[in-house]
Amino acid sequence: MNKSLLGFLLLVASFCHLSPAHADGLVVDKVYHPYVLANEKEFEWRIMSSQTENKNRLGQRFGYGQSFAENKMLELYVIGERDQDDNFGVTGYEVEMRWMLTEQGQYSADWGAIFEFEKHNGEDNFEATSGIAVEKEFGKLSATLNAFLIYEWGNSIENEFETEFRAKFRYRYMSVLQPSIEIYLGEDFVGIGPGFMGTYRFEGQKQLKWEAGFISEISHSGKDHTLRFALEYEF
Amino acid sequence: MSLRPLWLSLLLLCSFSSVAKLEEFYIELKDHIFVPERIELPANKKVKLIILNRDTTAEEFDSFDLNREKVLFPNRKAVIFVGPLKPGEYEFFGEFNPDSARGFVVVKEPSDVH
Repeated sequence: MNKSLLGFLLLVASFCHLSPAHADGLVVDKVYHPYVLANEKEFEWRIMSSQTENKNRLGQRFGYGQSFAENKMLELYVIGERDQDDNFGVTGYEVEMRWMLTEQGQYSADWGAIFEFEKHNGEDNFEATSGIAVEKEFGKLSATLNAFLIYEWGNSIENEFETEFRAKFRYRYMSVLQPSIEIYLGEDFVGIGPGFMGTYRFEGQKQLKWEAGFISEISHSGKDHTLRFALEYEF
Repeated sequence: MSLRPLWLSLLLLCSFSSVAKLEEFYIELKDHIFVPERIELPANKKVKLIILNRDTTAEEFDSFDLNREKVLFPNRKAVIFVGPLKPGEYEFFGEFNPDSARGFVVVKEPSDVH
């Protein structure tokens, strides 16, 4: 077996060995790639709909991002979720910084860092997140891993550390269609399922990227599916 | 939670990093045209593709075949790490001038590269 592939599989196994994995809220979200492109600006919309035996959770994010160096990007999000009374509203605001640590292809794997700070809407509750994104090419296959360490604190939540892990194995079939398998580990959640992403180019730097995935919980019996969809308009 | 397997694996992954000096290949971008338009690279080797943008405007190198995207700032060199690749033709283009700024990386067995 290729040494790099072996190393990567060991890394996946190591993250899976982290237990217990914790994270509040919707675990299924987005697997971050470790890349930042200079002069890039983008609008982003994400939606996550989770269906269990007794509830349907809905989360959405609207964001604007802009690179401020050749390898760093800042993005601001407004976060919304449906509450227990089935009312959808703004639940928080987040600022996110992505940092491309290595040039694509320079080393055996590409590395990036992610830092997020979130404030809950109308409450003095906060979340600070540090994470890494690693991507490795195997010909037309790409494996992407994310690991996050989250600290939550505030007036109405318990102060605690949490961890999350996400992985995506993608086949770069064609620009508009790149099928994948995604894995998510979080609080009482181990999910896996198919996904796809694609890009449609208009002109210049203008392009539309889409991602979707259907993730099923597999660590316990009972219904727990999440459909996620994301659109990014880069310009 | 046990972090030992994680750190061992990170160490393993880092140890596979390439530190050898890579062979360099050069392309110029002038008047929104890549010169040469076809560049031969050796198969199964990682190389540095160095692109000098001699135009006064930025360009964006894009190649789905090579899985690379990079901004080429005016009057600056950009380094793109490519490979290891199998023999074949890999298309690239400039996003801002896709009609003129186009080219191919032609990957051949090392003995056939000129």
